Amino acid sequence: MKKLDDTLVIGIGNNTRQDDGLGWNFLELLENEGFNADNLLQKYQLMVEDSELISAYKTVIFIDACKSELKIGFSFEHLNPAEEVSFSTHSVPPNQILNLCKTIYTKNPKAYLIKIQGYNWDIGIGLSEPAKTNLNNAFTYFIENFFR
Amino acid sequence: MLARKIIIDPITRVEGHGKVTIKLDENGMVNDAFLHIVEFRGFEKFIQGHPYWEAPVLVQRLCGICPVSHHLAAAKAIDQLVGIDPENLSPTATKLRKLLHFGQVFQSHALHFFYLASPDLLFGIDAPAEKRNVIAVAATNRELAKKGILMRKFGQEIIKALAGKKIHGILAVPGGVHKTFKAEERAYFLDGMLIPNVDTMIAWSKEMVDFIKNYYLENASWIDNFAAFPSNHLSLVRKETGAFELYDGRLRSVDFEGNELLNIADVDYRDHFKEAVEPWSYLKFPYMTKYGRENGWNRVGPLARLNTCAYMGTPLAEKERQIFKEYTHNKPNNMTMHTHWARLIELLYSAEAMKEFLLDDTLMNNDLVRKGTPRQKGIGIIEAPRGTLIHEYHTDAKGLITKCNLIVSTTHNNEAMNRGVRVVAKSVLNNKPEITEPMLNQIEIAIRANDPCLSCATHALGEMPLIVQLEDAYGNIIDEKIR
Repeated sequence: MKKLDDTLVIGIGNNTRQDDGLGWNFLELLENEGFNADNLLQKYQLMVEDSELISAYKTVIFIDACKSELKIGFSFEHLNPAEEVSFSTHSVPPNQILNLCKTIYTKNPKAYLIKIQGYNWDIGIGLSEPAKTNLNNAFTYFIENFFR
Repeated sequence: MLARKIIIDPITRVEGHGKVTIKLDENGMVNDAFLHIVEFRGFEKFIQGHPYWEAPVLVQRLCGICPVSHHLAAAKAIDQLVGIDPENLSPTATKLRKLLHFGQVFQSHALHFFYLASPDLLFGIDAPAEKRNVIAVAATNRELAKKGILMRKFGQEIIKALAGKKIHGILAVPGGVHKTFKAEERAYFLDGMLIPNVDTMIAWSKEMVDFIKNYYLENASWIDNFAAFPSNHLSLVRKETGAFELYDGRLRSVDFEGNELLNIADVDYRDHFKEAVEPWSYLKFPYMTKYGRENGWNRVGPLARLNTCAYMGTPLAEKERQIFKEYTHNKPNNMTMHTHWARLIELLYSAEAMKEFLLDDTLMNNDLVRKGTPRQKGIGIIEAPRGTLIHEYHTDAKGLITKCNLIVSTTHNNEAMNRGVRVVAKSVLNNKPEITEPMLNQIEIAIRANDPCLSCATHALGEMPLIVQLEDAYGNIIDEKIR
């Protein structure tokens, strides 16, 4: 088994809304690759208490579907705690969770955000073909680069 | 001056998406105001053709915030499809479902207070927008923030222990539950070794009730009058006693003065309610048939529940309910902002009720599922955190769902929220030379008091801006704000 040690990987999404399940699918690929499932977490949305959860890890990686067009179908970026305020508890942004973690628990885990472009968002299970391509490309990039 | 239309889209700090349109006349006076629900979910159609036993699982996808409520309402309906009425469920199954429900109510109310309501109360409605948020609460009240998070976590852990996971887990099966409660699971909530225990939850809940009571005394002038309007109030009450009830009971409605309008078996709801539609919203407007569309609508949720019940079944919450009732001389409370106070009394009730069940050894019994003679119609009604939630299913001979009707809490509150918006719009926007952000926030506060769940399931990155547009009488945008 490949241990993630002090790293938590959070896939955000909803696999009953087609490409909104990209974050969860990414976790499945990681599990299939042999990474320990204990450090892989499926979430429908980030919530305030996740600030406590991530305070126990050195590194956190958030993965979510993205409606905006991305040049190569995915992006990988470093995240810092932000003052950004969410408009709904359904959509607390990762950098706001980092902010709460820093403010309440005085912890500042290293954080990354992987966005994967999706295309279809209706009720239904299964990714669109272009979303599958983006997922595989993002996963390959992650495996080849993140653990170097 | 041209007639103008102000649009707040989407509303901040409510669950899901909505839009408010405020129409001003040529003199700058508020002509009318509407809360539009612009999402269409189509779940009632989507679920047709699925086997009935899938319903308690599928309907949880209605919402990531209160999936347990949908799970349990559907489960109660599906019990009837296998011939089991609520009173025939095994006592252990009923208690396990109730404990799950209390965990859900507890975490939902804690989240609402800490995350959605406290910024307005702590910093004031005129505070800058950048300060009225949970980050500012955390920065200035770290202990409150920690407690809020740990209280929500406690409720979520109860859900996880019973349903397998915090969101969209499964406890109920047709005619009962699929698992019992283990001794080590119970100890986790009682011994305080790994998380603060249930006694701490009760103590913190009481602290929050005391906080809001003091806050209300100091701010009575605006709290009592803000968005206040007379209404009917609807909720379940316990069958035999009329006591406060969240899981199963009779439907009772009282008017703004306390006169009883309705007291019926919950499964008879169809004989007493209709749903009106308006062209500007996907959300329907339920009303009691006997009293008509104009007079037959109800508020639901914490304020309504404290107005309809005879008493609460736990000691600390009952004491607080009595103080709450004394404030309005034992008449129904029609003050919208007092919903926050009522919600925290329910938070305390849920904490006490969780303790009661956690100490009940029969929760670990194995009489979990019962069966009766199958039927083709089932109605499940519970009190979700936000109010009365109705699920109705019809099946064919093969057990496939042919018809589904859902009336969610926010639908019941649709008319009340629209009235609240109108009341506030007229008090803060009439004839004002400038529309300020705090004024718009006050409109949203009136909506937020009802804790509406406008429900969304897709939340991909890059969405959800707040856009405020001013339009003239001809639909031209004359001003726009984005935040």
